[in-house]
Amino acid sequence: MLVGAFACAHTPQLLIRPETEDRDLVLRVHAAFARVKRRLEALRPDVLAMVAGDHIEAFFLDAVPALAVYVGTECAGTFGPYQYRMKIHEPLARAVVEQGVERGFDLTYTQNAPLDYAFYVPLHFTMPEPALPIVPLHVNVYLPPQPTPRRCHEWGAALGDILRARPERVVLMASGGMSHFPGTDRYASPEFDYDRELLDTLRAGRGRELARISGEELDKRGNIELRTWITLLGAVGDARADVYCYEPSWHHGNAVVEWPL
Amino acid sequence: MDEGAHYRFPPAAAYPLNRCLKALKSDRAFAERFVRDPRAAAREHGLAEDEARLLDPLDRDALVARGAHPYLVFMAGLRLKMLREPGKMEMF
Repeated sequence: MLVGAFACAHTPQLLIRPETEDRDLVLRVHAAFARVKRRLEALRPDVLAMVAGDHIEAFFLDAVPALAVYVGTECAGTFGPYQYRMKIHEPLARAVVEQGVERGFDLTYTQNAPLDYAFYVPLHFTMPEPALPIVPLHVNVYLPPQPTPRRCHEWGAALGDILRARPERVVLMASGGMSHFPGTDRYASPEFDYDRELLDTLRAGRGRELARISGEELDKRGNIELRTWITLLGAVGDARADVYCYEPSWHHGNAVVEWPL
Repeated sequence: MDEGAHYRFPPAAAYPLNRCLKALKSDRAFAERFVRDPRAAAREHGLAEDEARLLDPLDRDALVARGAHPYLVFMAGLRLKMLREPGKMEMF
């Protein structure tokens, strides 16, 4: 069953803060992460299913899956000095890939790929103790052509049906966003007003409208990673978002959101 | 996706360059070799001397013009900064 849904920023500066990052802002986002952790403890999930956009870490140009599921026993990764290892809920991961394919989604699966920091950063701050097993769900966001927002929403709807029919208590978490333009000349000028309008739409329970945004628009607005949120929105339907925080830094719109189910 | 997009389809000719940037981002041992000898490390990925020169210091615009993925350039640069100036970062 699906018992909770969250979206969390994974900005690396929240984990490794350079002098250029406002420390108070970072701590405010950490406070929102702590709130997610308390909610996870209250929701008592058996597993965290996490949708993240790969930062060209698990997959390179040798093979670029649009949608992928990590199906293994555990998964490890590194980010800077951080080395991490997470248990995978293999029965759920396998059910997602098998039933996803059965429902018409040609999913890639992998049993051996590094765990990207997009998964690790939110989990570093929000993972309850003892740690829960996870199911990493990849959406290609950085290597064009990416899946369309419409396709992500359709996959999320199927994923929600699969999770709701399972015996485990599952929390779904989307990692990423909001507006940022790493590596481009727009880095210092994200689209914060656009983010705020999107958050208003989500607060009103109109998340399905995001499925109509084009891929070009997401790129233009610095929101290519929003595909992970749109996947989650397919699963949560018309639930209204509770925005824990929106903290725009000089380069990134950091949001932490729950959709109470 | 139009040619004005921030993140464009990576041209196949830039595969070795992107592979080198990915290694800088994700392979600590390679990044450390790069810090010690950038030209020799770039040669491991078969990069020509003119491409290797763009990596040290990282010339983002020139690299992207050659087909480098902007995100890989960004994170390779951040990774090298973390190796060269580790004391300037606060870890949580």
